[in-house]
This record gives sequence, structure tokens and C-alpha cells, in this order.
Amino acid sequence: MTELPNFWRTEIWHPLAVHLPLVLLIFSTLFSLLGLIIKSNMWSTVGRVFLFIGTAGAWVSIYTGKLADAIVVRGLCDPTVLEAHEHAAYWVGSLFTGASLLALLGLNGKLLKIRSVLSVVMIICMLIGSAVLVRTGHLGAQLVYQQAAGVYTPSADCNEFSE
Amino acid sequence: MKRALLPLVVLVALIAMNSCGEKTAVVESGIYQGTIYKVEPEKTEIYVELSDGRILELYFTDQTLLTKNDETVEFSVLAKGDTVEVQIEKIGKRLDPISVAIKGQHD
Repeated sequence: MTELPNFWRTEIWHPLAVHLPLVLLIFSTLFSLLGLIIKSNMWSTVGRVFLFIGTAGAWVSIYTGKLADAIVVRGLCDPTVLEAHEHAAYWVGSLFTGASLLALLGLNGKLLKIRSVLSVVMIICMLIGSAVLVRTGHLGAQLVYQQAAGVYTPSADCNEFSE
Repeated sequence: MKRALLPLVVLVALIAMNSCGEKTAVVESGIYQGTIYKVEPEKTEIYVELSDGRILELYFTDQTLLTKNDETVEFSVLAKGDTVEVQIEKIGKRLDPISVAIKGQHD
């Protein structure tokens, strides 16, 4: 009888980690852009909070991705997709880290004169970061849905589910 | 103002760091000679740079035979700069190393 593998295996931590930062970073970009356009502190603040949590989450996702990489890559038919996914993820982490540093700097009262410039550069980083984030997610989905990366394939008679 | 430059410098550094990541090549099945560009022991993975500059990313399998002077050796023997001859089987776009022979070791 085939045995069902433990659900909490190392490669599962990556899909569990990626979705929260993905949502937070996309919404941080939208809220920060909205805050800049309508000059609303509330939206900018929410955008910054999402940005900080999302950026930390992005690096956690990269870490868990590195753990999954070593396990799933030997079963892939096209590891170049995994490589592109990894490269794109580092770009996302870097761009949003840059945006986070700019956001932190914008909180410094001594830099009031250039705050608007910092905000614009931050938004540019976030917009580019969001575009790369979508690309990263698309590549990740290709790995799962076209190459079954980290996916357990049940036996033909499903006997591992019978008790 | 100096403080304002810091995140920009960090951002540029991060972008430069990402741009320097190795881009690997997919080649046909066959025997190739090159130099080890990078070793990742925890993944039993090596990157081999060919003479034309292309880099091959090779994950060892349970069947990969690693030798030096016709004797089987441990993965830990491999180091950056070693010259190797690798026999590769291309499966899809994955490159499985069938054998890796160490031809010369970097000091």
C-alpha cells in the first residue's frame, strides 16, 4: 500500500509563505500611489505598513524558496523556469527593500524638503517591483501547474487515501 | 542630504548584485570539459563554466559517478577552480550529470 507523504514537508513552506507578501506588496503599491495622488496621509501610512511587512515576508519567501529549490529541482523537466523565478524573486526583494528604505527616510523630519522626491522614487521602485512580482508569481504558477513542482501525485487507485 | 543618498546607494548595489547572478545554459547530451565556477554542497550542485563562457548548472543524482584518477571520490573533494570533464544527459531541459571526472584541482 502506498503511503501518503507528510503534508508539512520542507517544500510546502514556500507556497505557505508567498501569498501574504504577494498581496501586501501589491496593495502597498496601490495605497501608496493613492496616498500620493490624493495627498492622503492615511493611505500612505497604510501603504508603508503593508510595505514593511510585505518586504520582510518577501525575504522569508525567498528563504523558503531556496529550501524548496534543492528538493524539487531534480524532478523538473525545465529547471530554467525555476532559475528565472528565483532571479525575479531577488529583484522583487531588492526593489521593495529599496522602497522600504526610502519610506523610512521619508519619515525623517530633517528631510522635509526632499520628501516628495523620495516618495516619487519609492513609488517607481514599487511599481517596477509589482510588475516583477506578477512575473515571479506567474513563473511560480508555471512550476506548479506545468511541472508539478513540490506536488504529490496520488497513486492510480488512490489506496493511500483509503484509511 | 547624505542620508538621502544611502537608500539609493543600497538600491543600486542590490540591483547590481542581482544583475551579476549567473545565467545558465542548456546544452545537448554529451561530454563537456570546463572549470568549476561554484559549488553548493548542501544541494550537491555544481556550476561548470565551459571554455566558451557558458555555465552549466548540474545537480548530482544518486547515479552520478564522481571520480579522480579513475577512483570514486566524495562530493566534498570538489572545489571552485577545479577542471572537470562531465558526461551529461539532457532530459527535457534538465541536465543530469552521469559522470564527473576531476582532471585538475585548483590549489
